[in-house]
Order: sequence, then structure tokens, then C-alpha cells
Amino acid sequence: MKIFFFTGKGGVGKSTMAAVSARQLSRKGRVLIVSLDPAHNLGDIFGVVNKGKKDKLTDSLFLQEVDVHKLAQEYLHNEINVLTSTYSYLKTFNLDSYFSTLKYSPGIEEYALLTSIARTIGQETAFDSIIFDTPPTGLTLRFLALPQVSVTWIDRLIDIRRRILEKRYTIHRIKGSMSSEPTRLAFEEKDDDILCRLRALKQTYQDLNKSLRSSDCHVTLVFNPDILSLRESERLITGLNELGLPLRLLIDNKVSAENRDQAAEVERKMQALAPGVQLKRIQMSRELGGGANGGRLGDMQEEILPESW
Amino acid sequence: MPPRLFQLLKEVLSGIDSSHREQAAALTEVECQELENIFALLILGSFVGLPAPPSFLAIELLPFMERELEVLHCRAQDSGDMLAELCGTLGID
Repeated sequence: MKIFFFTGKGGVGKSTMAAVSARQLSRKGRVLIVSLDPAHNLGDIFGVVNKGKKDKLTDSLFLQEVDVHKLAQEYLHNEINVLTSTYSYLKTFNLDSYFSTLKYSPGIEEYALLTSIARTIGQETAFDSIIFDTPPTGLTLRFLALPQVSVTWIDRLIDIRRRILEKRYTIHRIKGSMSSEPTRLAFEEKDDDILCRLRALKQTYQDLNKSLRSSDCHVTLVFNPDILSLRESERLITGLNELGLPLRLLIDNKVSAENRDQAAEVERKMQALAPGVQLKRIQMSRELGGGANGGRLGDMQEEILPESW
Repeated sequence: MPPRLFQLLKEVLSGIDSSHREQAAALTEVECQELENIFALLILGSFVGLPAPPSFLAIELLPFMERELEVLHCRAQDSGDMLAELCGTLGID
């Protein structure tokens, strides 16, 4: 299964490029196109109203728009349910106040996004390709960095947790059966819920990290022949390099007769930044009127992705 | 009479044994509690204004952290009187 990410500054035509690529790929195999952008354009491009469920566009092309806000709420709701059933003396610690704090905790949306990507990659194995249309640069880099950052944190926490368990084991050995503790604390690594959960989380992130860095993952960067778009793309390339994510294709979109010289200049700079990455130039389509997010798929028949993909 | 005396002696001996074991484990217990406190602070730090790991991690682990929360709570309460705390740890009356 191949995974595609379409990234770039807002308004450069990510969604349109993703949609055209999806159509191209759907001639060869089953394709799922997932919109992670809160400003869902894919539904407009394909001319359908998607309500978070998988929509069948053609026999081999499916569309799904992810409602990040709803995902985050659902996730918190589930966690809170586990909490209330686990804690026997909720009132003592006023945990309710913790819960209301959780709703506003930063990072939950990125986490929800990441969870939805992981779930899609894990569950939708019947598709030959999955295309992700990502939100603007900042958020994309943050959630793509999340697996790596999390693994580092989780490693540290596992370290501390194991030291706690070692101490508990020592105490257990010294006191033997005479322990005055009302409840026996877990000292074996396999009995400790927290350590088990930490390890399970680590496994999930490592798997995700692996599939994001594999040769089946294709990150495509869409940009326009203008300075703002160039600057943001430079930052994105640096960010992707730092994360070790594979950039496979550069798309210079909205090139017209007037900006051809600038396009060549911007393309030269981009290729210098990302040597060896294929570049594709897309001409501005007159029918689209040049407006951002105004693309109608029927107007574009170009083959964007290399034949071999 | 002798069986009762024997019983008493046994209880005294087991009392001495258990008190020695308690004493030997006392410092390790303090250390363990301190580690649990640190663990709880690291995970739930964002609630008290410390730089914390991604908060979803806190939410993932929260369901299992009953004891750690308890320790954190006790430590926070006792921190008002550090001298008493220190004397308690070192066994000074």
C-alpha cells in the first residue's frame, strides 16, 4: 500500500493536486483520499457533501473528510469514561476539575489527527493507495513530528517507571509477606498497567514512524512561483529533512506566461534545496480563473504523478 | 503455661523481625514514593504549570495513575512543613 501526503502553503492548490492525483491513481487501483485540512476543499472539488464517512466517488475512488474537532472531542470523551470507571473515589481528589482542564489542553487536535492517520493506515488495507491532503504547513509539521517526540518522552518515562518497579520489588523482598500495605502494589513489569500502556503506545508510534519513513511513503510538496510560497516551502523542506520524512515530488503549480521567468527561478532554488527530487510544472488553467481552491476536477486532465508510482 | 509462654515469645520475635524489616525498607520506600511523585509530576505537570510531555500522554495514562495522584497530593500537602518531613524521614522524634 502506498501512502501520499500533499503538503504546502495554504492556497497553492494542494487539494486540487491531490484530487487530480487520486483520479490518476484510481485508473490503476483502489484509492482512498483523506482530507485532514479543517477547511475541507476536497468535497467541493469532487462536488459532494461528505459527513465524515467514506464516500464512494467511483468504483475505485473513495473520499473521506476528517472532522478533527469532533475526533478530539470523541477521544476525550472515551478517555473520561475509562477514568470515571477506574477511579473509585473520584470526589476525594476533585478530578472533575482536571477533566474540564483537559478539554482545553493543547496538542489534542494534533494527536487526534495523528491517531486518525494511524488508524487509516492500519485499517484501510484494502486500498492500493491512500492520499492525505494535509492542513497548512505549521500544523502538518507538528503532527508529523509527534511520533518521534512522543517516542523520546515515552522512553524517558519507561525508564523512570522501571526504576519505580525495581524499588517496589526491593521493598517486597525485604518485607516479604509481612507487608502492612492494604493493597499489594505491582512490582513485576508485566503486572504494571502504566508500563504496559507506555509500551503499547511506544509500539504504535514506532510502527507509524516506520510506515512514514518507508519507501512506500511519498511526500509531495506543492508550491507557486512566488516568494512567499518559496519561503514557506523552504521551511517545510528543512522540517521534513529534520524529521527524516521522504520528499519525493515537487509540484510548481499555477505557472502562466506572465510568471514563467519567476517560476524557473523558484524551481531552481527549490531543486537546490531538495536535490534529486522530481519536479513537475503545472500550467495555470484559464478555466479555473486562477482563484485559490476554485479548481473543478473535470477541467484538469493532467497526469501529475510519475507513471511508475 | 509453657505453650502460652512459647506463643508469646514467638509473637515478640516476629514483632522484632517485622520491625527490622520495616526499618530496612523505610528509606527505600521514601525513595520509591519520591520517584512516583516525580513520575506523576512529569506526566501531569501541565496541570501545575510545569513543561509537560504532550498532554495526550497524560490523558492516556491518567486512568492508571490513582496511586501516583495520591502520592502527588500527599507530597503537595506535606511540603508546607519540610522540617517535619525531614525529621520523619530520618526517624528523629
